Amino acid sequence: MSYPPQQPYGQQPYPQQPYQQQPYPQQPYSDQQYQQSYQPTQPGMQLPPMPPAPPGAPLPQHDGSGPVVHDVHSLPVNDNVNPYAFSVDLNGPYYLQKGKMIAYYGDIRFSGIGRGVLDRVLEQNFNSPLHASDWVVAEGRGKLLLADRAFDLNSYDLENGNLTVRSGNLLAFEPTLALKQSIIPGFLTLIGTGKFVAASNGPVHFVEPPIRVDPQALVGWADCPAPCHHYDHSYLHGVLGGIRHLTGIGGASGEEHQFEFIGAGQVLLQSSETLMAERSVGVVASEPGVPGGGVPQQPGHGGQQLPNIPGLGNLGNLGDLGRRFGL
Amino acid sequence: MAGDSVKARNGSMVAYTGQMNFKKLTGGGDGLRGMVARRLTGEQMTVMEVKGQGTCYFADQATEVSLVRLNGETLYVESDNLLCTEASLHTGTSFTGLNGMASGNGLFTTKVEGSGWAALTSNGPAIILRVTQGTPLRVDPGAYVAHTGNLSRHLKSGAGWTTLIGEGGGEAMQVEFTGEGLVYVQPSEKTTFGGDV
Repeated sequence: MSYPPQQPYGQQPYPQQPYQQQPYPQQPYSDQQYQQSYQPTQPGMQLPPMPPAPPGAPLPQHDGSGPVVHDVHSLPVNDNVNPYAFSVDLNGPYYLQKGKMIAYYGDIRFSGIGRGVLDRVLEQNFNSPLHASDWVVAEGRGKLLLADRAFDLNSYDLENGNLTVRSGNLLAFEPTLALKQSIIPGFLTLIGTGKFVAASNGPVHFVEPPIRVDPQALVGWADCPAPCHHYDHSYLHGVLGGIRHLTGIGGASGEEHQFEFIGAGQVLLQSSETLMAERSVGVVASEPGVPGGGVPQQPGHGGQQLPNIPGLGNLGNLGDLGRRFGL
Repeated sequence: MAGDSVKARNGSMVAYTGQMNFKKLTGGGDGLRGMVARRLTGEQMTVMEVKGQGTCYFADQATEVSLVRLNGETLYVESDNLLCTEASLHTGTSFTGLNGMASGNGLFTTKVEGSGWAALTSNGPAIILRVTQGTPLRVDPGAYVAHTGNLSRHLKSGAGWTTLIGEGGGEAMQVEFTGEGLVYVQPSEKTTFGGDV
């Protein structure tokens, strides 16, 4: 975790939060080093002047102010190398999403889940067989570097807790955690004790409920018992409101719909409204009473559902009709 | 810059102060032989020469820029990731063989030789990893940016029959670096053929 849990927005410190962000001072990658290593990459920085050297003379070597060079020993142990890359000190199995490994030292094997011996492990950690094919088991010893499209990475410690995270944001987790498909479509829930790595577009902020958040800024939540939709009632009320919502005529601020969290817990927000590509979490069994069961997932995020507006009759199902006709 | 010149990727200048001249160098600026080689190898670069007095700023799509100081070593870099070099550095192409092709990076790579500074672009700040005897490094082909030093690269394949039925490990193709040197990786993966299996 590279960003210290700051409270720049008047947030309260959370002493008893179940997943602590890494204590900042323990990081091998100190602030000063960070400055140093990034100094040469500052945009717009002048090329350092090259010292004139007589031909044949050995040129000066790198001095301490050069970029930080990591080797197998200097790579941090289960911590961020920089805000965008995470180093895992692997000793045993570790689960990661396909294609997130960028480099590794040591002897590590990657195998798809669902192969022979691993099936037993699988039972413990995956409860939805359909999305298991997106995951890879890394086994062996060594240092493993993870990254995801240059998004910010954070690691979180979960202590006998639960945390639900958007499926596209979860990168890797320790096998002591169990991964389950959330009732809310597109989200995954991690249960147990252990560390996991998640990506976000911009640094993550922790907020305490009650809070209403923009759907695009939501990364996940922990321990919150009641995530629900919230619509600005006055804006969407009545026939005019419905038409406005459907057509956009009359203007929409784009913020009429939020997710509401109440109860004790933590809500994780990213500091950007750019969503990360969603991962398929598998279709749940088509059963009555199962949310999302058998119903194809909405493209994009969950914000497109129409409220059942009285007075508009079946207009609320226009979206479904359109999909049926392939519009 | 004081009267000397810099070779940079075409269109990468964002601002400059002072007096600058921009001249397009045909065929990567390696002369006729280099030009033919580049055409043949597909490691094409459109390069310009910037000459003059003042400060010139280069950037490319807000990607991170890392500076590499070369002291007579050779830097191997994907041509996509090379932003600019000092004129004292020579660029050329080198054959990476089947390794490059299978990983989707092409059969050839760009070689920078000499003494001076070279600037690399990467999607996210590049991480520099040291490879020594006994600690080989394996890199995802999509995250590979460049390497220096006395390194040999081999393709390591973990692909088995499960890859063919879509149940592979997702990391079937890796480039293994052995020897002594530095490898630059980016915290992001280009879409390559090797990255998909």
